Formats: sequence, structure tokens, C-alpha cells
Amino acid sequence: MPEISVQGLSKAFGGARALDEVTFTVRDKEFLTLLGPSGCGKTTTLMSIAGFQRPDAGTITCGDQTFFDFRGKVFLEAQDRNLGMVFQSYAVWPHLTVFGNVAFPLKVRRMRKDALRRRVTETLELVEMAGYAGRYPHELSGGQQQRVALARALVYSPTVLLLDEPFSNLDAKLRERARAWLKRLQGELGLTTLFVTHDQDEALSLSDRIVVMNQGAVLQAGTPEDIYRRPATRFTAEFLGHCNILAARAVTATAEGTAELVLHPGGQPITVSGEHLAAGAEVQLAVRPEAIALSALSAATGLNAYKAELRSASFLGDHYLYELDIDGMPLTVTDTRSFPGPSLTVRIPPSACRVLPP
Amino acid sequence: MTTSVSLAPGRATRIRRLLPGNGAQAAISGLVLVAVLAPVVPLVYASVQSAPIYLPGRYFTVAAYRQLFTDPAFWAAARNTAEFAAMTTGGALVLGGGFAIVCGRTDVPGRRWYPGLLIAPLLLPPLGLILGWNALYGAGGYAHDFITRTLHLPFNLSTVPGMAVLGTAVAVPVVFLVCRAALSGMDSALEDAARSVGAPALRVLGRVTLPMLRPALVNAGLLVCTLSIESLGIPLVFGSPQGHDFIASYLYTQWSTAFTPGPPVVSAGATVLLGCACVLLLLRGTLLRDQARFVTIGGRPGPAGGHGGTGSVRLPTAARLVLSVLLGLYVAVTTFAPIAALGLSSVTTELTPLIAPWHLFTAGNWRAIGQGQFATSITNTVEIALAGALITTALVALATAVAHRSAFAFRRGLPFLLLFPRAIPGLIIGIGFFWTFLLVNPPGHALLGSLWGIMLALSVRSLTIAYFVLSAAFAAVSESLDDAARSAGASWWAAITRITLPILRPALFAAFILMFIAILNDYDPALFLVTPGHELMGVTMLLSEQKGVNGPVAALAMVQIAITVVAIAIAGRLFSTRLRGRRNA
Repeated sequence: MPEISVQGLSKAFGGARALDEVTFTVRDKEFLTLLGPSGCGKTTTLMSIAGFQRPDAGTITCGDQTFFDFRGKVFLEAQDRNLGMVFQSYAVWPHLTVFGNVAFPLKVRRMRKDALRRRVTETLELVEMAGYAGRYPHELSGGQQQRVALARALVYSPTVLLLDEPFSNLDAKLRERARAWLKRLQGELGLTTLFVTHDQDEALSLSDRIVVMNQGAVLQAGTPEDIYRRPATRFTAEFLGHCNILAARAVTATAEGTAELVLHPGGQPITVSGEHLAAGAEVQLAVRPEAIALSALSAATGLNAYKAELRSASFLGDHYLYELDIDGMPLTVTDTRSFPGPSLTVRIPPSACRVLPP
Repeated sequence: MTTSVSLAPGRATRIRRLLPGNGAQAAISGLVLVAVLAPVVPLVYASVQSAPIYLPGRYFTVAAYRQLFTDPAFWAAARNTAEFAAMTTGGALVLGGGFAIVCGRTDVPGRRWYPGLLIAPLLLPPLGLILGWNALYGAGGYAHDFITRTLHLPFNLSTVPGMAVLGTAVAVPVVFLVCRAALSGMDSALEDAARSVGAPALRVLGRVTLPMLRPALVNAGLLVCTLSIESLGIPLVFGSPQGHDFIASYLYTQWSTAFTPGPPVVSAGATVLLGCACVLLLLRGTLLRDQARFVTIGGRPGPAGGHGGTGSVRLPTAARLVLSVLLGLYVAVTTFAPIAALGLSSVTTELTPLIAPWHLFTAGNWRAIGQGQFATSITNTVEIALAGALITTALVALATAVAHRSAFAFRRGLPFLLLFPRAIPGLIIGIGFFWTFLLVNPPGHALLGSLWGIMLALSVRSLTIAYFVLSAAFAAVSESLDDAARSAGASWWAAITRITLPILRPALFAAFILMFIAILNDYDPALFLVTPGHELMGVTMLLSEQKGVNGPVAALAMVQIAITVVAIAIAGRLFSTRLRGRRNA
């Protein structure tokens, strides 16, 4: 399987910039996810790779084949790119049976009848739909239609698999199952896969690497853990999971790997590890709610320990969500234990604080 | 699965240039361009020549326009046309809009059935309806004496107001359809809100429903006005014999009685008429665009047909019954009685109130149309309607695909081209193709004396109908279906012909049936193109009627109506079984 390289891709619709110098690479056999909110440009990027959008600048290559090169005036038509694509709506053709749908790509490639039949059957077995070959799409459930769409995208052994929010039309339970199944299939076949979603859980659980996009630009690329634990921007921190964003000012510059800051608006001191900050620098700290330690103690002593008022507590099944107030600074904390309040002690581990650029 | 097998398409290595070079898309677009402009360009050219374009020694001049504008008969015809258009538009707006409100917003008994009956004149042959009116309400007609002597109404179908009554009856379905669509798309919660604050029923209709309907009324009014100024059948049957010409009939008379065939003055008049129609339709397009802006600002639309509430104004029982009877009476008087009279005159030697029809019964009219020119015209008409509908549906389907499902460079111009024939009056299509066939030879001369030429003209005239149906159908099919085919390796042509068009089969069939009916019942372009041996039903009917051959004409009209009804019935049956099949599945 080749790798896909996207370099400096830009696209504007009217005056609005949909893609702004988008650059990333999908490595061989990798499961890469483009993650971002609606309108961030992830689908435009995918459609540009698939050949349904014509970017205004940049290049797209797949292995040694150039799909698109603005300067070199190269545009390979969608049908000549040999990519497998699963659409958000599945786009299963309603007038063809399951067999007809999966056989179509082979028919346009003029495959001999017996080989075609064998191949389609094999692929339907792979997606566990062999028993449904004679059915029409309206006789299938959403999950089954999705498998047909996937079989149709895999049957001609495409170089790369493109998935455009394929789980968004499934209910929560089915989505989880489909996710696990897709991940297993992708690993078994060793498919280079580009996946587009706005769902952070999907992105975290499926991907080898995630590319976070917003407003047409790539914000950060990395492994799921990397992105979650070390967000590079406030947007990434808040888009992936919940995150407290605290305003702070550095008071002393430190060389030994910790920084002393004061929080706004309360003025409490806070120690942050692994950062080099100039004195007086205004920064934002990203702190995950689950990284903060709670205790029922009324006296707050020790490093980064604060007395907090409990504003509200919600029970969410496997954990509680607490809304706290530290001298006018709101803070969200999750914990598996129940605390009655009204006063609690909060401790923020120095390593849990991630300093974001202002 | 054996992933080692290489199944990449053979063309995959071929790198294409940025400019799309799809030959099929260019060919389809070119064909549409030629077909739509064919009747227009030579016409305008012929109007600025000193002599008909088949004569040598012509030169550029605007003399034809000067001659046209100094002819008092032209101005009389223009005045008549304007009066007719104004009265027809006014009448159709009042009646069509009123019927739409009654059927859509009140609880009048029979409101489910009336819409179908009210729009029947749109599908029935217009010439059949005109001849039916002549048989019933024309001078010496069955009901004429009753109206003028018993009811003492000064009704004369040969006058401009008289023709406007018939024009109104023909145009009411158009207004009704437009207003009904607007009403069903309107959230009836707006009216319910007015009632909940205490407004009485009529107040709600007057202060809420009617103002909301105003954009639809403007749209329908301009459409009816455009159709009225190109009316040819009505003045030819009623007005012209009494000297009340319209522009269309004036031009036709000039054409058919000219000393040298095809005088430039007729081309000039046709160009003027085309200009008027284009201005009206451009105006309509501009107004509709402005309205669309308001519609989107309107916010979240309510569920179709209201929010589960009644959505209708409750009227007193007496008013409901009176309205229902009036509606029934209107449908009977304007549509079914004339057709019944037509049927009756087809089986009598003469339909007259002076002698009971059973004394005059004859099968001779029907025997007459079984032979000679009448029989030829029936087979000719059905043949060109079938072939024309088939070819046009195929071409328009492909053209719609280029317009809405391709990256072809000039695709944005195609919808305009496909809508343009709607703006071209029928007689202009006739005259225009006549000149085109003369100018462009080959194949012009062969087409001029053949059914193929007439079929071409009638097909171009009606292709907008197919485009309306198919563009709506394309919009309803997700583009990701053909994108999926493209990403699976299919070319544009393969994706359209093997995926999109097969999915659109029901719409293709609907477009085919509507095109068949439209070509079957059309006549005005053919008036200018018919040659002996290539008669069509409509033309034969008009020309025979002018010679006073009433009985066989009535029988011929009944045949036309019967074929139309059968076509509609086949379509209805196929659609209902399809729908039932879907539901059972």
C-alpha cells in the first residue's frame, strides 16, 4: 500500500477560505483520522483526495502517482484514482442488489464473469454479508448498508480506503460494534486508511494518528494519546474531551523545569512542570477534569492545593461531575467518588498543567 | 480476500489536463444549443432582410418592421391581444387563486377531488377544448341560445371579452397549480395563529392567506400573460372569422395568404412577439429570485400541510355546500360539458338546439376519420409523439445530467437553454424552423417536407416540460450515488447511464408521458411546417374546421382526447403499482 501525501492544499468557495495550506501524510498501512467540527475543511480535504473537489493550490500524491498538482496542471479524474471510498450516506445504489452493488466496480473494470462472481462472494464474506447478496438496499438495515458500501469500496483492492463519517447514521450501540469491526478489518487487510469524523471518541479509539483541523487549517497531528495529553492549542484541548482553561501569569523564570505562576482572577500561586516561561508572560493552562484530585478536607495545604466551593454535582453513571469555584475562578472536576460539599480541597498536579500559547 | 490481484483501471496511469475534455458532455450541450437556437437565429435574420431568404438579391433592411408598425391591422391585433391577455390574466388569477384557497384552506366537501378535475384542461388537448366550447357556446351552439335568450347574457365567443372567457377557463389550471403549490408549502400555523388571537375565518383569508399568496399570484399572472399573448387556436377558431385578430393569428393569416410565401413582415412580427414573451419571462425570473430570498429568511418551515391541526377555515354548512356546488358547476361548464358536446357532435350530422340529437345520429363522422387525410393525421401524430417524446426525454435526461452532475465548463448555461423554449411562442418555433430548414441544407430541405422536421419543432417546443420533471428528479437523488460510481472506477458516462438514470426510471417515464401528451396535442408550430401527406391531427382539425367540416373534426378531437386519457391512465396505473410495490416491500 502506498502512502498519501497532501502538500499545501488550499481551496476557496467564493470568498470563503475552506482549506488553508493543508499538509499531512498518511503512511503505509496507517489509520489516519481528520478530526474537526463541521465546516473545518476535513470533508473538502477528503473530497479533494477522492477527486470530487478541485483545490486552488497544492499537490496530492499517492505513492509515485500524482493525483493533483496545481502548478503542473495535473488533475487525475476520480474514476482513475483507484481509491476505495465509503460515503457518509453510504450511497448504496437503490436499483441494484447487494451483489450488483459490489459487482459494479469489477464490471467497469471488465472482469470475467466467473472471476467476478468469486471475487464478489469473497468480499461479501469478508464483511459478513454473504447471505444477503440477492437483497435490495431498502431491505437492509443501516449497519448492513454500511457493510455493503464497504464491500463495494474494497472489492477491487484499492490502494487506499477513504471513509467519510461512515458511522454517523448508526445508533450508539451499533456504532461501537461497527467501529471495533472496522478496526479489526483494517488491521487484517493492512489497508492505508483515511478517516474523516467530528466524533472525538471515534477518532481516539480507531486512529493510529489524528490530524486536528479547524477553519480550514491543520492545528496538530499526532497519536491519539499525544493529542489528548499534549494539546498544542486551546481549540484542540477543548475539542477533544473536556478541559479547564485557566488564565495565569508567570512570576519567576525557572531553568530547572518548573515554572511558578499566579492564576487569574484569584491570584493563587500554581506550579507547572516541564515549562520554560519568561517572567510576566501571560499564558493559558489546560487542565483535564479527571487529572485534578479532590478531597473532602477543609484545610488546603501543599503544592497547588486550593480550597473550593462546590457549586453543583451531577451523577453521570460511572463518575460524578463537579462544578467548583476557587475565589471566582470556575473549575470542572470529575471523580468516581461522591463528595457532599459545601467546601472541598482541590489539588492540581504540576504535571497535569499544559501551558498553551496565549 | 486476495489483495495481490491488481485491479487498477487501465487508464489510471494516464494523467489528464486540468481542462475537462469530455466529448460526450460537449456533444450533448452542443445538440441542445443548436436545437434551442435553431428556430430563433434564422427568424431574427429573416426579419431584417428585404425579401424572403429563399430569394436571391436580398439586402439588410428594417423595412419589414416599418411595414409592420405602420399597418393598422397589426395595431388592432396588438390591442386585441393586450385586452385579451389582461382580461384572461385577471380572470384566471381571481378564479384560480380563489379555487386554490377554497381547496387548500377550507373544509368544502369534495376538496380532495376538485384539484384533479380543475387541472384536467392542462392535460386535455387545448384544441379539443376550444372546439368543444365552439360546439356548446359558439354561435348556433347548444347552450348559446340558453345563455343569450333565457339568461339574457350578452355572450359572444367571437368578441375579445368572449374569447377571454375561454382563455380564462384554459388558464385557470395554471394559476391553480402555482397557488396550490405555494399554499401547501406554507405553514398553516400562521393562519391558525391569526385565528387563535380572535380573527374570524374570512378575515384570516383576507389578511393572512391572501397576502402570503401574493408572490405566487404574481408568478402565475406573468406566466398566464405570456401564454395569452401567443394564443393562436382561440383567435383562429372564434375571432378571425369575425375580424378580431390577435398578433399570432394576424401573423398566421399574413403567412398563409401572402403573395410570396414567408414575407419578412411575418418574421418581424414574430420577433416582436418573441421579445415581448422574453421580457415577461425575464421579469418573472427576476421577481421569483427576489421572492426566494424572502422564503429562506422565513426560517424553519412548518411540516407540509400544517402541523397536524385542521389547517383549514371552518365555514358555515350552507357556505360549504354552496361553494362545493359552484366548484362542481364550474368544472362541468368549462370542461366536461364542452367535451360532452364535442362527443355529441361527433355522432350527429349537426349539433343544433333546434332538432333533438337522436334524430340526427350518424356514424359517418367516425367512418370519415378512418380514411384519407384524417387517418393519416392520426397515425402521423401518434408516430411523431412517440418518437419525439422518446428522443427528447433521452436528450433532456443527458443534458440535465451535464447541467447538474458534471464539471463541464459551460454547464451553467444549459438550464437557461433548456428553459428558453418555454419563452418562445409556438408559431415562432414553426416559422423559425421553416427558415432554419431552408437555410441549413443538408439536412434542411429533407426535413422541411417530412414528419421528422415537424417532430423536431414540436419536441423543441415542449422540451422544457421534460427538463422540469427531470431537474426536480435529479435534485432528489443524492450526488454521492454517482460520486460512488466514479470512485469505483466508472467514467462520467458510465456513472450517469448505469447508476443515475436507472435510479430515475420513474421520472424518465413521467417525462416521456408528459412529452408524448404535449407533442400529441400541440399544433401551432406545425401549422407553418405541414406539407401535404404529413398532416397532424391538430392542423387537420383547425383547417377542416375553417372549411366548416364540423362532424369529422369533432370525432378527430375525441380521438385525440381518448389517446391522451389512455396515456394518463397508463402512467397513473404504472405509478400506483410501483408505489404499492414499494409499500409492500
